[in-house]
Amino acid sequence: MSVDTAAPGAATSRPGSAPLLDVREVTRHFTVSGTRIDVLHDCTFQVERGEVVAIVGQSGSGKSTLLNLLGLLDRPSGGTYTFDGVDTTRLGEGPRSRLRGEGVGFVFQQFHLLERRTALANVGVPMVLGGVPLLRRRARARALLEAVGLEHRLHSQPHQLSGGEQQRVALARALSREPALILADEPTGALDAASSTMIMEQLLEQARIRDAAVVVVTHDPKVAARADRVVELVEGRTR
Amino acid sequence: MLRSLTAGIVLAFAGSRANVARTILSCAGIVVGVGALIMVVTASDFGQRFATAYSEANAGRPATLQVSVFGQITDRAAFEEDLVRAGGQDVSVYHTPSGAPQIRSGGSVVPDVQFLGVDPSLGDIRRMNMAEGRWLTEADTGSLAPVMVVNQPLADALGDLTQVQVGTDQWLDVRVVGVLESSALDLGWYSAYLLRSPASEDLLFGSSSDTGGEEGDPFAMPGSQTTYQVRIDPQDPAAQDPWGEVFTGRLASASWRWGIEDPESISAYRADYAEEVDRIIDYMSWGLMGIAVITLATGLLGVLNVGLVTVRERRRELATYRALGASRSTLFVAVVMEAVVVSLVAGVIALAGCWAAVVAGGMVLERFVPLPDGVPLNIPASGVLVGLGSAALVGLLAGIIPATRALRASVVAGLRE
Repeated sequence: MSVDTAAPGAATSRPGSAPLLDVREVTRHFTVSGTRIDVLHDCTFQVERGEVVAIVGQSGSGKSTLLNLLGLLDRPSGGTYTFDGVDTTRLGEGPRSRLRGEGVGFVFQQFHLLERRTALANVGVPMVLGGVPLLRRRARARALLEAVGLEHRLHSQPHQLSGGEQQRVALARALSREPALILADEPTGALDAASSTMIMEQLLEQARIRDAAVVVVTHDPKVAARADRVVELVEGRTR
Repeated sequence: MLRSLTAGIVLAFAGSRANVARTILSCAGIVVGVGALIMVVTASDFGQRFATAYSEANAGRPATLQVSVFGQITDRAAFEEDLVRAGGQDVSVYHTPSGAPQIRSGGSVVPDVQFLGVDPSLGDIRRMNMAEGRWLTEADTGSLAPVMVVNQPLADALGDLTQVQVGTDQWLDVRVVGVLESSALDLGWYSAYLLRSPASEDLLFGSSSDTGGEEGDPFAMPGSQTTYQVRIDPQDPAAQDPWGEVFTGRLASASWRWGIEDPESISAYRADYAEEVDRIIDYMSWGLMGIAVITLATGLLGVLNVGLVTVRERRRELATYRALGASRSTLFVAVVMEAVVVSLVAGVIALAGCWAAVVAGGMVLERFVPLPDGVPLNIPASGVLVGLGSAALVGLLAGIIPATRALRASVVAGLRE
């Protein structure tokens, strides 16, 4: 089945240009009950288009905080973060949401699928937010679910799916707007070994097809081993 | 902005469909409140239309005065001229024959018939819904036989309307040119409207010798009462005076022209009462509407409560939307629109329930009382607008607070839940 997979506003690959992600001396601290807690210290690294980067580190090292910053869900306390040539630290709330919707696809450890919605509807949500017309949205969602091997589960709701299937729906949803960056937070953390292998293979395969960069936060050495590069976080500092 | 609005509405509809139980639970209070509002508007509208129709059929259109003179009018033409000068736009005699005539068709006499001597202009003063034939015209005054219009119950009792005769001492052939529609407005009385004409003068007013007045003047009845119906301009100051003192004051200044010396012998009053009844219905409607609004407010609190609870429970879902690219405005619209969708669904359910109740009520009513033309029992457009409008407004009000809370929630914290 041939389906137009180009989403409106999707980030386009520009080989040879600036890195997709440019993180420079980023810091993040929180104030809890009057006490300042420094979570990230002067983190600096880049991610190229199509590159697969694993972020590893012990619990509490700041991996999730860094991922939230990269996904434009949070703002750094200091430093600069440039996404696809755009300095995100100066962006207002609306443009950040737009950039996040168009440029970033999320795969969460707990899947975060919308309950009581079918797989097809879940994959369609980012496209609803992107203003993709209904028929085109349905066709793309169907094609993406077929691409991750869920053509027989189109109308199943999350509670009717296994963990591996739910994560594949989440992957299809992350790809629905052809993002330049896929952020995966412990994508195999809630899955068994067989499902983990399948998810990682599909994640990397789909990212490769679309020339999308992947930043994956993981504890799993097997997952980290499949990355092009590993960024280690130790007490909030990149190595 | 438009994309945010569209996306918010699409998400709201999807959310309402996905959470049917929540939607139904939220609906209950609104259904009762909106239903009460629609029924109040419907009852008020029906009552006002019925009162207007009843008043126009039995008492006259707006600003109709009933003018009576107690005493002997010496010059009827001058009196009628002065009725017009005093502001009358349509003037009709309105006379009950003193001789108590009887009516029959084919030999069988119909008892207890109310006869009224009238002019063709009574058709302009009152609402005359014809079931058959026509109302009286000026041309009928030249007829050699008395001309009349009867109401439906009398027509049914008479049977053959081509052989109708009327009389006191002797029977006279009369022409029945029309039948007034039977409706709840005439309450089943037998009524006959006899056209004032040379052919009916004796029948209506008796012979001049009987009345003891001037020869040829049927109104010259000593000690008798002369009654007219007069429609004036509703903007005329006399129309604002329910007891007709302004109008009688105008007449009294020229009463010498038609032989009345005591101004107290002239009386008038506003015969139509639709405005008065409308006013009473309005007061009642406002009172009932207040009760309905209180019920609706209770429903609003229900939707608000469900909205607040679900926003708390849906932090993760709302955070997921944000992670997938939903802007704050999209999320705000989505949460508000969910409440609006729920309320509108409730409004539509209430409307359907009211419609069914009104149809059933109308069918029952029709079995006992035939409703007149132009007074069907149905939900007026204003009832639909008030019902759905109030439902949407309630949804909007009930959605704003949960939506504001949804915006304040942390995306990162929501994703951790």
